[in-house]
Amino acid sequence: MSALRGATAVVGIGQTPLYKRGTSPDPELKLCLRAIVAACEDAGIDPRDVDGFVSYGLDKNDPPKLAAGLGTRELRFSAMNWTHGGGIPGAVGLAAAGIVAGQADVVVVYRAIAESAGQRLRVAVAQDDTAAQYLVNGIDGPAQMCAMRTQRLLAEGVPRETLRAMAMASYQHAQNNPDAVAYGRPLDEAAYDSSRWISEPYHLFDCSRESDAAVAVVLVSAERARDLRQKPAYLLSSPTGATGAAAGLEENHTPYGSANFGSVARRLWSESGYGPSDVDVVQVYENMTGMGVAALIDHGFCTPETAGEVLTLKNLTAPDGGLPVNTSGGNLAEGFIHGMSLVAEAVRQIRGTSCNQVPGAGLSLMTGGPGDPLVSSALFASDSRL
Amino acid sequence: MSDEAVQAVAKAVERRPILGGVAADEGYWAALETGEFRMPRCPDCGTWRWPAHYRCGHCGGWEQEWAPVEPVGTVYSWTRSHYAFDRTQERAEDVPYVVVLAEIPAAGGARVLGVLAGSEDGLRVGAPVSGTIEAPSAKSKGYPSIRWSLDTAARSEEAS
Repeated sequence: MSALRGATAVVGIGQTPLYKRGTSPDPELKLCLRAIVAACEDAGIDPRDVDGFVSYGLDKNDPPKLAAGLGTRELRFSAMNWTHGGGIPGAVGLAAAGIVAGQADVVVVYRAIAESAGQRLRVAVAQDDTAAQYLVNGIDGPAQMCAMRTQRLLAEGVPRETLRAMAMASYQHAQNNPDAVAYGRPLDEAAYDSSRWISEPYHLFDCSRESDAAVAVVLVSAERARDLRQKPAYLLSSPTGATGAAAGLEENHTPYGSANFGSVARRLWSESGYGPSDVDVVQVYENMTGMGVAALIDHGFCTPETAGEVLTLKNLTAPDGGLPVNTSGGNLAEGFIHGMSLVAEAVRQIRGTSCNQVPGAGLSLMTGGPGDPLVSSALFASDSRL
Repeated sequence: MSDEAVQAVAKAVERRPILGGVAADEGYWAALETGEFRMPRCPDCGTWRWPAHYRCGHCGGWEQEWAPVEPVGTVYSWTRSHYAFDRTQERAEDVPYVVVLAEIPAAGGARVLGVLAGSEDGLRVGAPVSGTIEAPSAKSKGYPSIRWSLDTAARSEEAS
């Protein structure tokens, strides 16, 4: 068992409204402050007492810029997890490591994105690290790269219908979330099937929606968490890693149809002492539906052979499905805040406050950006599952 | 840096303006420019490495050799893009277009991207492809490029 298992907990979550990309009334840094302050208020913690800051994906809102606005008493810890959305759960793990090592007491993990701060969000999240091998050959966006990986996954026998089920589950959940971008816009099979192609095998509804917004969560030690006002969501494990790292770039990773979680998932189950059949609810980062399918396969929720039976709309939908996913609507239907809203939703499920609550959820998983060269996952627990 | 060195860097950047990734693949582009398909290999242990890199992760060698390879392989995966994305707007008039990720057995199974040329008949994972080299253009952002074509014999076999 890892020294981090159950040693810290998320005690506060804060999320700004989701604005369509480019329409936030606030600049990015202000959105970031709003999310952090909201997370502190949720936890009952004075924002001045936040002494640690962690983010990922080249977030530009670095701690010194935030500290003056928060009134930070002493900035003691800062860390940035490399990679893109793949690094989110690992960023939560960095916060936990900082607390357990005595480097900080109250750590926020956050991400803020607003198109007014710079480039089109899908370009900004690419972090200018798109190699010439892509751009010369007509490949720009993650949609195209992920499309090739999913095409391979389908060629290896995973049914195409699993992609539609993932999209429809997210849209169905969003109908109960008034804050979701797709609230009031249900998706049926016909609308999915007839939507335009983006990059085959992806239709429009296979792709996430970019939003201007910010999300923050606050972590403290498990001991302190018990004295605060919210039900703690204990962090059991949040490994970061890569599989086959020696050739993991520019579409040369193996296995190619995988979302790269092989070694991370093994460590997650080993460190937590649980397995996929124990998990009550999953927030799966879906930049594109097919990558979410691959992430679920990587974590052992099904195999390529059983994906068609397991990944059905009925099974993926709360409260009655056996494997409810993306219960706030996820990146596809709630909105895309570079995946960070999935952490907040994973915590809500432990608290019992989701708009699509899984009854009695005690183990809540969040999987990070699938297919990134570096990925991570986090398993949260209620105190009864420690 | 001396003025000369600064100018050399500026010239190199002008010639290959894309800065992302490992970016150790200048030999690849330089070879294509002379009409050759070359892939990187470690001269010490013979390991093919792709994407190209500055050090051999297998034996620790710092050298890289660019070996001529016949550009033939199979479709490892592919996508047909129906949308001109932000940084590849030069191809807007070609939408929809197919990009093939070709697996090259003669280069240790390296997978090399290229836009499909010619017919789409028989396009599928596993289909044999061969490459032709295209001169730099705006569409390829001023770089020379490899274009993959589905092998005609394989297409007729598929049809029969």
